[in-house]
Amino acid sequence: MLFALDFFMRRIAQGLIIVLLVALLIFTLLRVVPGDPVRIMLGPMVSPSVAEQTAKEMGLRDPVLVQFGRYVGQIAQGDFGRSFVRSAQGASTGGTRAADTFNAANRASVIGLIATAVPYSLLLAGLAFVFALALAVPIGIYAGLRSGKWPDRFALYLSSIFVSLPNIWLALVLIFLVSAKAGWLPAIGYKGFSYAILPAIVLAVELAPVFIRSIAVSVSGNLMEAYVSVGQIRGLSRSRMIVFHVFRNSLIPLLNTLGIQAVGVLLGSLFLIEYVFNFPGVGLLMINAVFQRDFPIIQAISILACVVLVVVNILVDFAATTIDRRLQY
Amino acid sequence: MNTSSKILDVQGLSVDLLLGSGARRPVLRDVSLSIEENRVLGIIGESGSGKTVLSRALINWVARPLEITGGKILYRGEDLVTLPQRQMQALRGRKIAYIGSDPGSALDPTIPIGHQIVEKLKAVEPGISTADAARRVVRTLDAVRIPSAAQRFQEFPFQFSGGMMQRVMIVDALVTQPDLLVADNITQPLDVTVAAQILRLLKDLQRDFNTAILFVSSSLGTLHDIADEVLVLSAGQVVEHQPFEDLLSAPKHPYTANLISDLPKIWEADTRNTGASIADKISDSEVVLSVRDISRVYSTKDPTKLFGKQHVHAVRGVSFDVHKGDSLGIVGESGCGKSSLSRLLSLLELPNTGQILFKGKDIARLNARGQLDLRKRFQLLLQDPFNAIPPHFTIGRTIAEPLRIHGMAGSAIRPKVEQVMQEIGLSLDLHDKLPVGLSAGQRQRVNIARAMVLDPELLILDETLSALDQVEQTKLLALFEKLQRERGITLLYISHDLGMVRRVCNRVAVMYLGRVVELSDNQTTFFNPGHPYTRALLSAVPSIEARPYDPEKYLLEGEPPNPINIPPGCSFRTRCPFAIEKCATIDPVLTPRAGEAFAACHLAKIVEAA
Repeated sequence: MLFALDFFMRRIAQGLIIVLLVALLIFTLLRVVPGDPVRIMLGPMVSPSVAEQTAKEMGLRDPVLVQFGRYVGQIAQGDFGRSFVRSAQGASTGGTRAADTFNAANRASVIGLIATAVPYSLLLAGLAFVFALALAVPIGIYAGLRSGKWPDRFALYLSSIFVSLPNIWLALVLIFLVSAKAGWLPAIGYKGFSYAILPAIVLAVELAPVFIRSIAVSVSGNLMEAYVSVGQIRGLSRSRMIVFHVFRNSLIPLLNTLGIQAVGVLLGSLFLIEYVFNFPGVGLLMINAVFQRDFPIIQAISILACVVLVVVNILVDFAATTIDRRLQY
Repeated sequence: MNTSSKILDVQGLSVDLLLGSGARRPVLRDVSLSIEENRVLGIIGESGSGKTVLSRALINWVARPLEITGGKILYRGEDLVTLPQRQMQALRGRKIAYIGSDPGSALDPTIPIGHQIVEKLKAVEPGISTADAARRVVRTLDAVRIPSAAQRFQEFPFQFSGGMMQRVMIVDALVTQPDLLVADNITQPLDVTVAAQILRLLKDLQRDFNTAILFVSSSLGTLHDIADEVLVLSAGQVVEHQPFEDLLSAPKHPYTANLISDLPKIWEADTRNTGASIADKISDSEVVLSVRDISRVYSTKDPTKLFGKQHVHAVRGVSFDVHKGDSLGIVGESGCGKSSLSRLLSLLELPNTGQILFKGKDIARLNARGQLDLRKRFQLLLQDPFNAIPPHFTIGRTIAEPLRIHGMAGSAIRPKVEQVMQEIGLSLDLHDKLPVGLSAGQRQRVNIARAMVLDPELLILDETLSALDQVEQTKLLALFEKLQRERGITLLYISHDLGMVRRVCNRVAVMYLGRVVELSDNQTTFFNPGHPYTRALLSAVPSIEARPYDPEKYLLEGEPPNPINIPPGCSFRTRCPFAIEKCATIDPVLTPRAGEAFAACHLAKIVEAA
């Protein structure tokens, strides 16, 4: 119990620092790239003096660190700001409406936009994990138990092929073949669960090789540990040793892979795949925000991604220490 | 002899090793043996004689590339060689148990030991309830004298010391009340006192559980304590089989005779072969190394407090002087601070308090230049000869490395390296070869050559010879004696092997819980020690000689206390059979007994007088 408290306090403190640094980096980079957000908010027709005044009112002319401090202060109160571009009704207003001044009140709140998008992304990511594990666990275990023989080689070749398929190409090919030609599954937008299957498959193909390798290596490694053969001398059957001991111990490297690699890969690919499939998740929101220089959304999603990564890692490490108590020391 | 009392009867067993090219090499040839109920059969042989293969073959654990090519292994009349896998599985663990030499890796590291033994019990005795099984395991844990058994039932393998883990494996083996226990070198990795405890325990248990034991060992001294009869194995063949006493007094085979005569004698009065002979010429010579009250504390995380730290007192106020030409032995059980001390002495770490003076200069205060200069005169040799040598350098390059570091001219290096190689006994052909394929002994010689090439004045040997077999050890000890005679170097042997220390050291420091408890000359240490811990260590040394210290009286139970919570007063009092009231409050300091002999015990004087 004490260990858990100590562990979480330590790791959450570390995590906060990481998130803060990432937020600062994103914040600074966004303000260094060319393109004035005021122009995007108000449109090209607005006079320079009005634009300048709006910018001043919004604090966009203050030093970056001052702006960042103000931003962190708002986040601490749960306020991620409002979109520069999107109206509260959902439409994008990108300056064409010739508004004289920028009125924040009629813009959508960032937290609201993200909250609507997150469930879709969670569904897609969860489905991708299920597909990837359903494929990788049997293949990885079989390869690990028959290390050096044909199942091991099969697993390696399959992983190599999967790794070499560019996800964007695979997405387009699947949309064309499965959706457009055969008509088995819908592909564009979201009107029901079946819309998530095709993009999830694309993501799973990208994730599976990482899992297969990790499982195969740890299973074959654990199989060679002395306690497995000693267990058989002690009177336990080989299958019992494999199911109850080898698999259990192989879980730790798999968890680590899940935490560090898989979530990282997923966060990256999710943006692209959602965009290709026009899937209304966080990724699509992000890509559109980047095109529109909608800083508050970009910042919030970046911070969110960072938080997810940090939290998943803390949980994964904690799970690992409960499986293998040696890690607590 | 009627067959019914024979539990195991092996007839003409042969095992081959299949080599890659279809060739085969015999590992066991025509081995026959039998063991009766309640008897202990010892099997001895040097490394490579086939002991381990034999002990595994007896439980039908022979896997590729090994193959049984002939013979029968009859267990109560049933041939195990032809027994179907399923029935063998049931027999193993239940009626025939096996304990190996590596208890640390025998169980799944992530599951509490009790649960694993229960798992086994349920597998070999179907129908037993988990609660019953757990009760039986706790009872057996108690029987092997594991303190607070119920609590340790829930602990993980890594929380047990080597000795305690070996007890756990004994529990695992005996919990089903087998008729036959195969014990393969089970005391080999343990400290002498712990090994002696395990042997004593096994003897008691054998009586209580009526188990026949097949005890495999490479040390005759160990078998002396346990075996009724001994079978000598050499190159895969049984060369002799006799009751133990007859074997000692009248060995039939020359191999056995050699084995017995080559054993280092510890208690022999003849000092020709021991360090005592070189004891006289020293002591008045110059002090090379002076250690003054050094201590070292390591901080680790305290799992019982939030963000807490706890302090491991590894070395606590150690002082001694080493004279030029001395061979000082530092002995003690694992965890007593020997290795921490060697790290401090070799300047890998600095002491928290105290001073180490090398020829009068404090080594902690040296600048980088001074340290480099010091290291030239001051070499450390470690136990593992495999990881200490870079695999991609030629042997000549490895030995020359220190000379390059210390800036020797290029042309002078090769002759110097070759000279040292000859002196150490390395063939000059090896100069341009890689260390691949060298034996442990040869590798250790490369290590020694690398140290000696700098002409050091002090060598610290931290368990340098422990990994080598008897024969190789003897050769290297002779080499060190020669080097010492010819060059007058000073040697510091850090070792747990009292037999070796008896042979080569003129002075001995005994360490317990980070402190030197006795510092005496060789003769006094072995024949008139002032500290009860020294006597306990001596009583535990396996030997075929008659021992002056009766284990029944002197051998300790339990293990040293945790160096985090050292008891107040004398730190040895918790295990000391002679502790008096004073010991609980006053920590005894190292006090002179006679001449060069010191002991840290309130009773030291009294013992000497008695």
